[in-house]
Amino acid sequence: ELSDGTTDIVHPEVRAHISSLVAALGGASTEDDGRYHLGDDALEVLRDIKRWIRFYDEKTNRMDVARCIHEANLIEGDLLPILATWPENATDSKYKSRIALACFEIMVPLTWPMERDKERMTINHHRHMPVLELAQVQYKMAMINFDEARILHAAVRTALPSLALPASDRAARDQGIIKLVLFFLRNMAMIAPPPNVQYEGDETQISRSATIDAFSYQDIFLFLLTLASNMGDDFRTEDTAVMEIIYHLIKRVDIEKLFMTEQQAHKAKAHELTSLMNKESAMLKAYTRNGPTRHNRFGTMIWVKREDGKMSSLSGQDALADTTARNLKMDKNKVFKPPRRTKKENKDERDLGPPAKLNARATGQLRSFVEEFLDSGFNPLFSHVRKTIDREASHVMQYHRRQFFYLVAWFLEAERTRQKLKRDSRKSNDDVSSFSLVAGVLNQEMFITLNKAMNEAYEYKDWHELAAVMRCFTQILLTVQEMIESGREDDEEIAENVLSRLFYEESTHDIIANIVRTYKDQGFYYLDAATELVHHFLRILEAYSKQNADMQVRSRKRTRQKKNKDQQQQGTEDGVLAEENDDSANDDETAERTSKERKFDFQRFAARFTPQGVVDTFVKFTRFYQDMDDSQLKRVHRFFYRLAFKQEMSVMLFRVDIIHLLYNMIKGPEALDKGSGMFKDWEELVKQILRKCFKKIEQRPELIIEMLFSKLQSTAFFLEYGYEKQTASKK
Amino acid sequence: KEPPSGLGIEEEVSVQKRVRVPNVKLDEERLLGPAGIPKLRKRAAGLKLKGKGHEFSDASRLLSFYQLWLDDLFPKARFLDALAMVEKAGHKKALVTARDGWINEGRSKASHDDDDEL
Repeated sequence: ELSDGTTDIVHPEVRAHISSLVAALGGASTEDDGRYHLGDDALEVLRDIKRWIRFYDEKTNRMDVARCIHEANLIEGDLLPILATWPENATDSKYKSRIALACFEIMVPLTWPMERDKERMTINHHRHMPVLELAQVQYKMAMINFDEARILHAAVRTALPSLALPASDRAARDQGIIKLVLFFLRNMAMIAPPPNVQYEGDETQISRSATIDAFSYQDIFLFLLTLASNMGDDFRTEDTAVMEIIYHLIKRVDIEKLFMTEQQAHKAKAHELTSLMNKESAMLKAYTRNGPTRHNRFGTMIWVKREDGKMSSLSGQDALADTTARNLKMDKNKVFKPPRRTKKENKDERDLGPPAKLNARATGQLRSFVEEFLDSGFNPLFSHVRKTIDREASHVMQYHRRQFFYLVAWFLEAERTRQKLKRDSRKSNDDVSSFSLVAGVLNQEMFITLNKAMNEAYEYKDWHELAAVMRCFTQILLTVQEMIESGREDDEEIAENVLSRLFYEESTHDIIANIVRTYKDQGFYYLDAATELVHHFLRILEAYSKQNADMQVRSRKRTRQKKNKDQQQQGTEDGVLAEENDDSANDDETAERTSKERKFDFQRFAARFTPQGVVDTFVKFTRFYQDMDDSQLKRVHRFFYRLAFKQEMSVMLFRVDIIHLLYNMIKGPEALDKGSGMFKDWEELVKQILRKCFKKIEQRPELIIEMLFSKLQSTAFFLEYGYEKQTASKK
Repeated sequence: KEPPSGLGIEEEVSVQKRVRVPNVKLDEERLLGPAGIPKLRKRAAGLKLKGKGHEFSDASRLLSFYQLWLDDLFPKARFLDALAMVEKAGHKKALVTARDGWINEGRSKASHDDDDEL
């Protein structure tokens, strides 16, 4: 019990120990313009604090020591001033460098990201975490904005002696120091104010811009570039740590904005503002059109005559406007909500965070880093990480795979944007840099990893990773397509080769169709990734199969083992046993699968995207039409167009809720912005679909009932053509 | 009967739960009932669509046709919610058979027409 009658939340003895240690560490002197003086046994004290953290907090899974350290103001009050007494040109003082290292050994666990793993959380976690999360933000603010010394740079300096050694000569301790420094930088890049908490401090001092600014000013970018470009030679196990730092720096950064010049950025901002204001005024206009023209107690009441002699009453003037408004009003007055399952908490959402907003200065700094990284570090780092992931090295965490795919996708897009800019800026000059800068992720090994990851993530229901893989796949497709159009012979040849390999495996086609067919509340990010992949995959595959009329694919056929044996004895089976892709070396399974080459038929492939499940996924995506940009709207538009007019399966769209959605996009109270580029296209498409729908209703009155339900393929076929589908007899 | 002594503490309180009135559901029974799809079919005869050139007004008419029918069938749910419930019920066996029946009806009619033409 404390003196004021409350009980302390940590053990009083722990608190006493920690505060006496912090006091013994040293302090600002009273003479000497208040410089920091180390205590006599400062090094031992630092080691003791470290031991407290390790053997009390970490061993017993509490957070008491961390809490006490936060309350004793150790980092801002002691550690940072101590690091400031280590002058930048003094590298030979052994004592000082050991003190510095000890400081970082304490700071790293204190800034370590906290996991919210429900099964391992104790009551102490619930007690301390909210405080400590804010404490970490405060630590970060203090460290990257510390005026007297460059803390991040000091971290790198502690690792310099170890870094200077050749990789083979480094002892375990040296490697540990390098790792420590990398983790410190990772923590600095990663810490952000917790979501769903209103951060009270100055946001600008811990924002992404401030982080990038600090990284640039303290030469951390150079350090990262050195490590990345020497990955595989001088550095081996550091690959994932470097990748993590880069991930936390660039996640959710808008690439297009990154590559704009200042002038363009200004223009884009102004444009964004005007378009937003236009949108708002359109919204207000729509409201005033239907809004009341008199005061709210005017008291209009109307009867609506309905069939069977029924009447409903409605109040409010807006009910006078027209039937649609009346129907809407009748609907809005209802309060019943069907029971819904509560949304699962998505723990991965914390990881990605909201889109990053960068100021002009940080944009410039990050851009130059990204360009240099593409030029020198991309291939060595990512091929090395890919190998590390493939051999399932012990330092690879589950989330590293996700980060890897995210980063590959991001940098591929960045490279394409950069090349586009270069092309635009000097049209006549043919000196466009080749795609060899990103060749490290366009080889066969990468595609194997990609396919494997896609299958595994889908199987284990790791949606977050699957979304990253899908984005990566999309970016690879887009890059390859750009290579084909690049007009350089060698690039074109490689691209042809890559495409033929990408499209060769029919299992890839299967899984993409499956993913999009089985979407069920995995979140918008996932939905966006899945529809984007399908859009580009279909588009590029169509073009490719047109060019290569006799394209072959390897399709897998599942046959019963016995049959398989029989056939083999008869010698009719021309396939060979397929290699098992996943590691589960299940002999039975292997034997069941045979593969053979088959001519690829695009029409048949495209027909996989007509079942109700796929259409539903796209419809769910379309529901977000008000928040979509033009490319997303176009994506759905193309899909619906293809479905209705190329594949003649418009019947799939004839369901009341879909018609409702399409109608409301154009004519509803919250319609698409009429000024937007896609509005005309959508209006035409919806009109054509509606026209088709009414024609069909006239032709087949039973559609009035079927419009309420999802349709099976056979029903849909009958409704579309009026006769039964001739099922092809199996061989 | 004894006069109530004091605060009524000694009186026995019934703790048995009363059975709740079951929730009304929009399920296949309701859909197949007289106010359900049979009614929809009857009403559909009165639905007049103008055709070419009036796509959007026709769509609005069609939607309000469905909305009013659903409002009569299951007044408490909103239009889109009710639609989702109907769609879900459509996978039930009873409804699947019924749907097949309706389609076959239309089919035989269509083939009769074809015969007439021949």
